Amino acid sequence: MNYNDLTRNYFESAANAGELEGPGVFRGAAGNRDQGTWVQFDLRIHDGAVSEASFLAFACPHTIAVAAWLAEQAVGGRLQPMLPESVQALRDRFAVPVEKMGRLLVIEDAWLAAVLPAIDYREGTHIVK
Amino acid sequence: MNTARMPVYLDHAATTPVEPLVAARMAEVLSSETEFGNPASSSHGYGDVAAALVESARAQVAAAVGAAAPEIVWTSGATEANNLAIFGVAQYYRERGRHIVTSRTEHKAVLDPCRELERRGWEITYLVPDREGLLDPAQVAAALRPDTVLVSLMHVNNEIGVVQNIAAVGAICARHGGAWLHVDAAQSVGKCPLHFASLGADLMSLSSHKVYGPKGVGALVISRGADLGGRGRVQLSALQFGGGQERALRAGTLPTHQVVGMGLAFELAAKISSVETARVARLRERLWRGLASLGGVVRNGSATRSVPHLLNVSFEGVEGESLLAAIRPDLAVSTGSACTSALAEPSYVLRALGRSERLSESSLRFGLGRTTTEADVDIAIACLTQALSRLRKVAGTLVAGSMPVA
Repeated sequence: MNYNDLTRNYFESAANAGELEGPGVFRGAAGNRDQGTWVQFDLRIHDGAVSEASFLAFACPHTIAVAAWLAEQAVGGRLQPMLPESVQALRDRFAVPVEKMGRLLVIEDAWLAAVLPAIDYREGTHIVK
Repeated sequence: MNTARMPVYLDHAATTPVEPLVAARMAEVLSSETEFGNPASSSHGYGDVAAALVESARAQVAAAVGAAAPEIVWTSGATEANNLAIFGVAQYYRERGRHIVTSRTEHKAVLDPCRELERRGWEITYLVPDREGLLDPAQVAAALRPDTVLVSLMHVNNEIGVVQNIAAVGAICARHGGAWLHVDAAQSVGKCPLHFASLGADLMSLSSHKVYGPKGVGALVISRGADLGGRGRVQLSALQFGGGQERALRAGTLPTHQVVGMGLAFELAAKISSVETARVARLRERLWRGLASLGGVVRNGSATRSVPHLLNVSFEGVEGESLLAAIRPDLAVSTGSACTSALAEPSYVLRALGRSERLSESSLRFGLGRTTTEADVDIAIACLTQALSRLRKVAGTLVAGSMPVA
């Protein structure tokens, strides 16, 4: 399997791997380790923006790289009910083979599982944690 | 590829580097003004010289595997030898029976011919080994039927290195009277005792490039020994036709330099086998101890009934493709998955042993050989230590007994 430079760099560094603790943290996960792909995001929300982000991923290098990149890109951004970049754009950016598109959808599910409760919480419509 | 910094080679079960003495002898044959003749050209001296080289190599191979020289039929490799054995027996004995016994953990070069025969109407029984990868010869006895014409089993498994009790199977086939025994011994030569005449086998496949010889040449050993069980000697239908070479079983001009290389490689392997085996066994133990200390490491295949050149382990808590990507710059090993596309298929051998899909995918086969040193083993341990630590941290799967992550 060949990986582009971006994929290899983020797979190898995986700088934001881990979990966040404390107040204001929203966690979302998707996938299943037994199925070969599992992703989790932790987002610390402050004043409607992401102040800190981390991820865990039991997954292939493409998935790890995309999750790591998203966690990095998220910091400082406003909460939005979507990925910072579309699945198709992520696929292009990381040269993800079409056979692995499902794994990008797992990432999207994990992202939304963290983001949507944070938005609900901020808007006072839903209480999480 | 930039060869300035190649990874440590621990994939000797896939192929071996050509022994320098073998390469030199092959080069001599290729460049000689007297050894280039067609071995089948009996009308002049050039052909005689080449034929003598071929027969000398035949004797070398035969001596290395406990066979008689006339029993050796040259092929392009073990895959062709397996095909010739399986299709050759099936075709020749098709009126007597159309049932074949093999196992689920055979090499694809046996399983694919069997599947093709299934498509053509033959019945195949696939034996399932135990969790250590071993077959009980009684399983073979139970699978034999009056219409069984062939039992095809490997001597040493190419993925997990376990050694099957072929002699016991041979005795069972002889008692049956109608089932010929074919043994894929591509992984055996130079790694464990192999004596064709003592195995009770009728056919045995050999490979050159697994034994520090050249690629593109192998042999099928066809028994002409004692008539076990009063059933006569095994007969084969040829699969290719042309000049009638190799007793009309394998037509085609023989590549003299290739068979000379295989002959010398086998002779050298027989000479250094016991010393080399003991050395490699020590290295494998060092490797296993180092890997086992990482925690969450499962050994695949019997530790006691296996060749010392091979170690297959599964790593818990890491995804297979990521594991391979993490070690690829530093280690050349085989994985427990077949990457036929972007999505890997877990090893069918490990699945047959009862390993889960995930554990099968996160397995590595370490093939040790003549070029392997203690330093190579230590590099492998260090590389895996780092990769597992990092990937388990990323996956949130630190396992009990594993090293703490900084």
